Parts: sequence; structure tokens; C-alpha cells
Amino acid sequence: MSDVSLPAPSIVARLTPGARAALLTLLVGAICLLLESSTDLLPVWPEAWTLPVTEWIGVSLEWLFDIIRPAMRLISAVLEYPMVWVNWLLVNTPWPLIIGATVALGWYAGGLSLALMSGVGLGFVLASGYWIEGMNTLALVFVSVPLALTLGLLIGIWSNESARARPWIEATLDLMQTVPTFAYLTPLLLLFGFGPVVGLIASAIYAAPPMARNTLLGLQRVEAEVKEAGVMSGATRLQQLVQVEIPAAATQIMIGVNQALMAALSMVIIAAVIGGFDDIGWEVLLTMRQANFGQSLLAGLVIVVFAIIIDRISARMATSRDRFDVRISWIILAVAIAASVLAWAALPAPGEMAILAPTVEAVDGALTSFTRSAGTTLDSIKNNAMFYGLLPLRIGLDGAVLPFTWGFSWTANMSYALFAVAGALGLAVAMSGRVAFGLCIPIVAGILETGVSDLPWPFVLVGLGAVAWVAGGWKLTRLVVILMLAIAIAGLWPRAMLSLYLCGAAVLACAVLGGLLGLLSAVSRPAWAVIRPVCDMLQTIPLFVFLIPVLMFFQIGEFSAFLAIIAYAIVPMIRYTRHGLVTTPPEMLEAAVSSGATEWQIMREVRAPYAAPTILLGLNQTILYGFAMLVIAALIGTTGLGQSIYIALGAGDVGLGIAAGAAMAILALIADRIVQGFAEERRRALGL
Amino acid sequence: MTASAPTGTPAIAVEGLWQVFGNDAKTRLKDAQGRTSSAPDAAEALREDGLIPAVQDASFEVREGELFVIMGLSGSGKSTMIRCISRLVEPTAGSVRIDGEDILSANAKRLIELRRKKLGMVFQHFGLFPHMSVADNVAFPLKMLGQSRSERRTRALEVIEMVGLTGREDAYPRELSGGQKQRVGIARSLAANPDIWFLDEPFSALDPLIRRQLQDEFLKIQSTLHKTIVFITHDISEALKLADRIAIMRDGKIVQIGTPAQIVLNPVDDYVREFSRDVAKGRHARLESVLHTDTPPTMPDDPKLRLDMTLEEALASCMSLYEPVPVWGSDGQMAGYIHPSDLAKALQVDRT
Repeated sequence: MSDVSLPAPSIVARLTPGARAALLTLLVGAICLLLESSTDLLPVWPEAWTLPVTEWIGVSLEWLFDIIRPAMRLISAVLEYPMVWVNWLLVNTPWPLIIGATVALGWYAGGLSLALMSGVGLGFVLASGYWIEGMNTLALVFVSVPLALTLGLLIGIWSNESARARPWIEATLDLMQTVPTFAYLTPLLLLFGFGPVVGLIASAIYAAPPMARNTLLGLQRVEAEVKEAGVMSGATRLQQLVQVEIPAAATQIMIGVNQALMAALSMVIIAAVIGGFDDIGWEVLLTMRQANFGQSLLAGLVIVVFAIIIDRISARMATSRDRFDVRISWIILAVAIAASVLAWAALPAPGEMAILAPTVEAVDGALTSFTRSAGTTLDSIKNNAMFYGLLPLRIGLDGAVLPFTWGFSWTANMSYALFAVAGALGLAVAMSGRVAFGLCIPIVAGILETGVSDLPWPFVLVGLGAVAWVAGGWKLTRLVVILMLAIAIAGLWPRAMLSLYLCGAAVLACAVLGGLLGLLSAVSRPAWAVIRPVCDMLQTIPLFVFLIPVLMFFQIGEFSAFLAIIAYAIVPMIRYTRHGLVTTPPEMLEAAVSSGATEWQIMREVRAPYAAPTILLGLNQTILYGFAMLVIAALIGTTGLGQSIYIALGAGDVGLGIAAGAAMAILALIADRIVQGFAEERRRALGL
Repeated sequence: MTASAPTGTPAIAVEGLWQVFGNDAKTRLKDAQGRTSSAPDAAEALREDGLIPAVQDASFEVREGELFVIMGLSGSGKSTMIRCISRLVEPTAGSVRIDGEDILSANAKRLIELRRKKLGMVFQHFGLFPHMSVADNVAFPLKMLGQSRSERRTRALEVIEMVGLTGREDAYPRELSGGQKQRVGIARSLAANPDIWFLDEPFSALDPLIRRQLQDEFLKIQSTLHKTIVFITHDISEALKLADRIAIMRDGKIVQIGTPAQIVLNPVDDYVREFSRDVAKGRHARLESVLHTDTPPTMPDDPKLRLDMTLEEALASCMSLYEPVPVWGSDGQMAGYIHPSDLAKALQVDRT
């Protein structure tokens, strides 16, 4: 048998890329494990090898800021005017007029359902007593959004016009959207000084990228022949843009407007952590800090109401061409004006409404009694999840298994046994032909034994590099390794690992749970009818609000953060899984049915493989959402990079803020590129 | 319908036209031409370098008022060719003259002027502006010309009537059927009354019935307007039906240029023959193509054949004849003679 006598390198060469990557990772892991006890260079990146990058960034930025600060302060002073005007206008406009105008717009865009939704929603805001705070928030949104739209439109057009600038612009937009929202605030705070203008500018900067992206996408998607028809009609470049391409891209650009609005609202609320402005985000934060959950739930709901109204009306205007009878809108508006004028004196001041105060108290009371009576149950849920799930993942079985929780202590022999079992199982699987999968089993066992935060850095570096190589070749490997080394050298390695652990745990939970819910939604129409509105809702709610319910039940801590991340990040997983599974081309299904496949066989053999790239994209979105939420969750107590960003904000430490923000963005970017690489590979394999 | 040499300046003259896609195509084409002796060799060299020579060394002329069809399968470079002539893409090398003017060296301003006044184009997938009504679509070139709103509207309605869409002028493209959309496309391309009319597979996206209807109307419009036309198609029967002359393209090269009869009866190679295999030749070739003009032998019969008859028509009148028969010109004089057996031979569909 010539096969047996082949030299070792040929055997390696015959392995699939996945198996080769797994083999290398396993070897490095094993070596690290052996060396760990004899060297202090493992597992954590040695302190001596770090550079004070954070301080350097801080110093150079401070220096830069000192130069440009006068100009920036001028901008902030200029922006203060429109903000104060809009704020004054919104607060002093009689509330019937604002409600009437919104209802009229809702009717015009979406008929009765949107009109009712607007009326009921704003009625709720009025009744909550948070009208003034709500208007303060809206004032920020209404001033920042036009700025963001103009900026985004111009950037989008610029990247469309200049093929040379496009990759740079796209990379910058990527970065701006992966850098966590909090990280924006520290430098802006130092540049613009305290006050609501920082929130305004932050939200304008944060909301511009989606507008730019959609503008570019829309312009690029205009059919080539439509563009050519413009050219052949003798239009100048400007005429082509203004008269042909931008109008033809209008739908996509309007979707950009919708996304920019939502991003601005989300950011304005997050910016409330800076304080100094009596807006609704601040109200949530304040009541949350006072553990006044009924009240903070109410304020949170006001935010949700604003988000839903703004989203639904602008989305409808973007995607649907139908408009409803504008005369009815005018009548609604006229009635609202009449009501405002006639009942001017009789109208109660919106800020003093307290119709919902008894309800709030009742909710508060019910909550208190619920948490008191179910306290032990809630605690045991939390503790079980922590002791048997999160903690072992974080510090490994060798650290988490204690007599106090598990009833026994972990010994070295148990580690050997675990490795032996995993090795045997892996070998068996590998022998059956699935080499890569077999090799992964001992790797996973090793990670479980060690814990994510204690993983030796060479193992993480090589492992990520190997995965990147499988997903996207040497180029991606180089990028991943260089970026991870940058994190390590900046001295952020331990914090990055903590972030990776929490986000990874949440993403894993999202993948399993979201995948199952997506599958359920794909096979059962009634299930989707229930899940879909929940998904819509979760996606509209600004990040911040997710913190309220988890805090109510599980107090401050890692488990609450974990839940908040899952609640926010699970949506794309559900959506993409379902979408991938239900969009199998009908001919493929007919071919399967006529081959005699059962429903389940079709699902496994046809739908699932076809859906794989889409599901991977969903996973990608989930990861990005997870990282975004991770930083917000720092507010309720997480460790890692999110916490550093939050601390930097409080201390005005721009170096730490930027460095930790960048490290977070790097982690998100690496995850994004790797998953995209796999999705791309699957798509190619399917010829899509 | 003759294939004689053009007189005066041709409306369009294309010479040595190359379109090579890829990085740094211009210098690499020059380099490849320097290394090799013929265009096909140069193209092969470019291809080996990973470049795509979509149009290779194309030369032809289109006379004023001529309907010139470029035919080829997908990927043969015909769409690229028409985009080179209209300069929607920048050709890599060669020259394109429109009424003697080199349009490849025209500056941006002159190009816009040419497009506004002289050139019109119809697209395969219509290229209608989705945000404009039918009338606004048709009036768009006039708007570019700077005409007033009312002038534009009047002229647009005129052209819309010509393509038979009166009553639909305020509809939007999304409300129209495919055939109607292309009528709008045709109307728009004619609104500014251009001299030169480019049609890029205008009927390929339509179903056969509508296609035939539009072809007939297209011929009717052309018979009154006499535009100089470059018409792209992948459909041999469409090419034969419409063309004054046809250029057949394959892999970026023009392999044959000729009248429909020449293409059908004298294909230069197997590739062209393959196209015309299933075409009933008798329907496209006229008696000229099989005429003998030497001293006529004895001719006992005279089925009164005329020179402009198609072979099919002629065969019908001499089904039972075996001796040579005379053919009469439009002036009443005998133009020559034919053997009825030649007719039958020419009519045979190739079966290889």
C-alpha cells in the first residue's frame, strides 16, 4: 500500500484547509498547555511587552484638540442656536397641534392604522407626564438629522463619483459604525464641552454613515441602461445626478433617511449619560439609578413610542408609493389648530400630566412584590446560569468547579480525563472521515477547561489566524493577526478577552435560540405571526431601553448584561434564518418533492444548505449587534473593554476611550470579516 | 438593396476599433500589437495576459440612411461595439467618425452636444427613468436641449403618437407592459430628431408576438424617417428581416459583412453557416444572387420571372420546368437567365 508509506507532509497536504487549520491550532494549544506552568509569559500577554499606546493616543489627541478646540467651540456655539429655537418651538407649541400634525402625517403616509398609532402613541406620551422631556429629545433629533442627512448624502455622492476615494470612504464608514457609540462621546466631550450640543453632534456623526451607505448603494443600483439613457440624452454629469440618478435611487435613499432617523434617536438617548440636559434618556438613567423601575419603565416606553412612530412613518414613506387622501390630513390639522386656539386657556400643561401616576405606582408595587416573592427563583436562575454556564466559560472548569457550587473540586486528573475523552472522541470522528470536526472536539474541550479569559495568547492568535485563513486566505490572516497584536501591545489583551467571552457567550446563545426560533418561524406560519412583531419591536427600540427590564429582575451584574445583549442581538439571527429557509427557489423544492423527499428531508437536504450563506450573514449581524450592546451594557456592570470605555467617559480620558473603542471595533471587524468570508465561500459553492 | 461601395462621406466610419477590458489596457494592447503580426494573435496574447479583448480590430462603414445590423451571440462583443461607437465606453484604440468627425477625440462639451442633437439610443431593457411619466421620459432629451415646458410637451405628444401610445402619456413606466415600455424607449430616442439611431437589442426582451409587431412598426417608422441606424441583435431572422447590411460578430471579431442574401447564400465560414442553417434561404435571397448573364442557351419556357423576385416566389412559377428560363429586369429588358435546378439547390436548408 503506497498510501501508508507516504511521508508526513503529504498527509498534511491531503487534509482540507479546515482540518489543517484545526490541526495547527490544536498543536499550539497543546504546547501552550504544557509550557504554561513553566513560564510566566503565558497565558496572559506579558506586561513587559506592552507599550503605553493609550497614553500616547491621549497625549497626541489632547495636543490636537488644543489646536482645533476654538474652531469646534465655535461650531458648538453656532449649533446651539437652531437647537434652542427648535427646542423652544417644540416645547411651546400647544400639544394638540403637535399630536394633530403627527396624526395628519401618519394618515397621509399610512392611512388609518398609522394615524391611530400616532394618536395613541403621543397620547400616551402626554399622559405619562414626560411630554417636555420628550420634546427636548425630539429637538435634538430634529436638528441633528438634517445635518446627518446632508453630510451623508454628500459623502454618498462623493464615493459614487470617485472610484479612488470609494474604498477609503467605505472603510471609514465601516469603522464609524463599528466603533461603539459610547466611544464617540469622550473625544466630543473634550472638544465641545459639556452640554446637549455634544449629544447633537454625536448623533449627527453617528447617523450620517447609514445615509451615506444607502445613498451610495442606491446610486450604484440604478440600472446601467437608465444611466446610459441619461448620458445619451446629452445630460451633463450634474444633470445626470440630479435629474436621473438621485431620483431613480430615491427609494434606497429614503431607507437611508429612515435609518439615519433611528440612529440619531438612539444616539441622542445614549448621549444622555453625559447629562446636563433634561431629556427622556436622562430620565430613564436617573430613575434606573434610583431603582425606581415603574417610573423608568414608563420613561423607557416613551422612548419606544417615539422610536416606533418615527420608524413606521418614515419607513412607510420610503417603501410605499401609496399616499392617502391629503384632504383628510388637512382636516385633522385644522381640527388640531381649532382645538389649540379655542381651548388654549383650558388645556392642562403637558408637563404636569400625571394620568399614569397611579398605574406607575401599581406597576412599581406589583414589581416589588413580584421580585420579593419570586426573588429566590430569579436568584436561582441567575446563579445557575452564572455558576454552570457563564463562569466556566469565562475562567474555565478548572477555576469554576468548586465544592461550594458544583459539590466537588476540579483536579488535574479530571483535566486529563476530559482531554482523554475528548481526544478519543475526536479521533473516532476523524477516523470516520470528518477530520476537521474531529480535531475541533479536543480544541473545544481545551477552551472549556481553561476558560476564555485564561486562554494562552499564542493559542488565541494562532487559532484566530487559522480560522481567518480558512475563511479568507492569507490576506485575512495577516489582517487578523496584526490587529490582535495591536490590541495586545496596547495592553488591552485581558480586557479584550473578557469582552470576547461575554459577547461570545451571548452570540452563542443567540445562535442556538435564534436559529431555533427562525426554524420555527419558517415552518409555522402562526409562530411567525407572533415572532415577527416582537422582532420588529426589538429592532426599533433604542439600545438603552433593553437595560430596564433586565435590571428590574436581575439587578446589576454580568447576567443582566448577558440577557440584554441576547434580547437585542437575537433578532437578526431569527430573521435571517427564517428568510434563508423560506426563500428556497420553488423549482428546487418541486425537484425535491418529486424525488419523494419528506418535509424534514427537504428542510435538512435542500432548505438548510441553500440558506447557509443567509444564516451566516444573520450570525454576522448578531455578532455586530452583540458588540454594540456590550458597550451599553457596561452601564449595568460588565468588565472588559465596554467598562473601560465607560470609565474613560467619566474621567475624560480620551486616550483610554479611543484605544478601548478601537479595540472593540477591531474585535467586531475581525468577527465580521471572518463570518463574511465563510458566507462568501458558501455562496460561491452554491453558485449564488 | 445593394452592396456597392459607399459614395461620399459615410455616416459612421469605424476603423481598427479595439476595446480591451482590464488594467492598463491601452499600453498593454500596444505592446501586444508590437509583439504579434496580426489582430487575432494580438488578441490571443492579451487573453493570455488575463485581459478581455471584447472588440478586436473592427472596421466598417455605415452609409447615410442605411440600416446596419450587428449580429452575434451573447458575449460576442456586439453590445460593447455599440457602446464604443456611442462612446458610452472609451474604446482602447482605433477611430470612430460620425459624418467625418472623429468622436473619440471630441471633448466632453462637444460629446454632450452631439448626443443632444445627433444621436439617439434605444436600450434592451428600455432604460426608462422610473420616476418620470411617459411624456417626461420622452421629453427628457428636449429638456437637455433647453426647450421650454410647452415646446417639450408638444413634441413629446407628437412622438408618442408616432409610436402609438397616445393616451398613455401620463402613465409611469411601472404601469406599462414590456412592449409599451419599448415604445416609450423608441419615442424618447427619436424626440430630439437625431440623425443617427442606435438600437441595442431593442426587441430581445419582448415576447415573439409583440416583437414581430414592433419590428413591423419599426420598419414603417424607418421608411418615413430614413435614419442612419446601427441595430444590435442576436436573432438571425430579425437581422435578415430588417437589415440593409449585416455584420456578424464572433468573439469580438467581425467575421462577415454583407447583405442578408450574401450572408445566407455565401457564408464565409461554418460559424456563419451555422446561423443560417435553419433559415429558409429562398425567402431572403433574390434572383440576382443566382443569375447567369452570359449568352443565354435556348429557352423554351418563360414563366415571367422578375429580377426582384425572391427565390421562393420564382420557384413557385417554375416548379415543373427543367430548361433555363429568362429573367426580366424592371426596365422590361431581359437581365439574364437561371436554371430552375439552381433555385432548388439554393433553397435547400443545410443539413450537415
